[in-house]
Amino acid sequence: MSAPSSTTIEMADPIDEAEALRRLRATDDPSAQYYAAWWLGRHRSQHPDTLPLLLAAMRQRRARQLGDGVEENAVARNATRAVGKLGPSASEAIPVLLELLDDPDYGLREAAARSLGELKATVALPALVARLRSGPNVAGARASDSANLVEPCEALLEAIGDLGPSDEEVIGVLESFLAHERPVVQCSACRSLLQLTQEPRWGERLKTLLLHPQLQVRRAALMDLGATGWRPAAQAIAATLAENSLKLIALRGLVESAPSDGLDEEIFDVMDGLL
Amino acid sequence: MVPDDMNSQTSVEQRIANVQSADSAEALLSAVEHLAAAKHPSATACLLEILGFNNPGAAVAAVDGLIAIGEPAVEPILASLGTNNYGARAWSVRALAGIADPRGLEVLERALATDIGPSVRRAAASGLGRLDLRSLPDEQASGLVERCLQALLLACGDGEWIVRYAVVVGLEGLALKQAERISVLSFEALRHALAGLAAGSDPLTPVVVQRRSALALHRIDHSGGPHG
Repeated sequence: MSAPSSTTIEMADPIDEAEALRRLRATDDPSAQYYAAWWLGRHRSQHPDTLPLLLAAMRQRRARQLGDGVEENAVARNATRAVGKLGPSASEAIPVLLELLDDPDYGLREAAARSLGELKATVALPALVARLRSGPNVAGARASDSANLVEPCEALLEAIGDLGPSDEEVIGVLESFLAHERPVVQCSACRSLLQLTQEPRWGERLKTLLLHPQLQVRRAALMDLGATGWRPAAQAIAATLAENSLKLIALRGLVESAPSDGLDEEIFDVMDGLL
Repeated sequence: MVPDDMNSQTSVEQRIANVQSADSAEALLSAVEHLAAAKHPSATACLLEILGFNNPGAAVAAVDGLIAIGEPAVEPILASLGTNNYGARAWSVRALAGIADPRGLEVLERALATDIGPSVRRAAASGLGRLDLRSLPDEQASGLVERCLQALLLACGDGEWIVRYAVVVGLEGLALKQAERISVLSFEALRHALAGLAAGSDPLTPVVVQRRSALALHRIDHSGGPHG
């Protein structure tokens, strides 16, 4: 998983839900729409206009233009990310997300995969697996025209883990990506395997990746362990050479990703020590 | 920590020289870690300078060094706040929070209320919960505890989850360690704030903050303090 940005744009421009909806309607102002889509997702807006407007925005296409300051199809990508945050009320978006999994735009496929995982859209499992079945040397090969891989492997692998119960064929596809040349992709595969099988060996392997010489890999392993809720990782997370902010996010994940009857005092003591 | 022989003093000077001659980010980090480990007041000025270098790894090590020096570092840190850049001030707040000297109170209050960096507000909130007031007369200490409490209560609605989390930890610290200095009325306000966060009535309060608040209430109820 890629690490979250450490900055938030929220404080630059405090708006309310009505203003966000107004901005998302302003199709002549993509940067206003871009911010509005993010805002509605972040605040998990349940307004009756939110989902229809996001669905319309997911179909907007706009090549990157000079001086834009935003990415290709930026509004559609942000709207796609936002629907994943809305929870069960966004189930209507699932068919559109499935279409976007086949979009030519890599960024849209990536956002769609993540949102399908967040919405626990089990209907998407065959489509997610299909995009990875060719394995690390085809789906996971480097794209000819960018630093990306052919497929957004991390997002696809992680979405499969988020969906829950899988069969042996799916596990086999995930395991094939343990051999991928990029350690961050291995992280994503370990994460999903741990979520789906609960076998400690995948958690141990993620702990090994916490010691990787590259900071980017250590950050990815932190976020992935957090997403699994595998509590035995708490001390290893705290000892990782990375920003306390990220370790705290990972430890939050341990507390929130898997329910517990206990007080989680060990994890909370570790978190308190990182403030 | 006063050194007991001349060797360690010489060694601090040598360590400062190593920081000044470091010619790469890695060399700087290792030199700063070495200097911080000396825990010697004469390292303060050099450690403070490092906070302004825009090198997070070295700054973390320098903050640890300042915290280890403790009380003798407080005045130099406070004096540096007027002249330093934003980054250096942010790291200074973290050092003051870690040292827990009551002279840092005003800086921590202002940081929690107004700093744009969540990591700075987070450090300020936890610092406000653990100021060491043992050196002060009772009446003065009670006044400072009340100020810490009010600053934390005002920050319960912070937009960042980790700042809310740190506010909970700060409130727990006050309730467990300063209970006898808190009035009945203020203690009720503290408990009410934690109960609100534990109930998650605001959607921006995530599960982790709710559960940490519940743990804080549990610990307060089982502490046998005067308000239990």
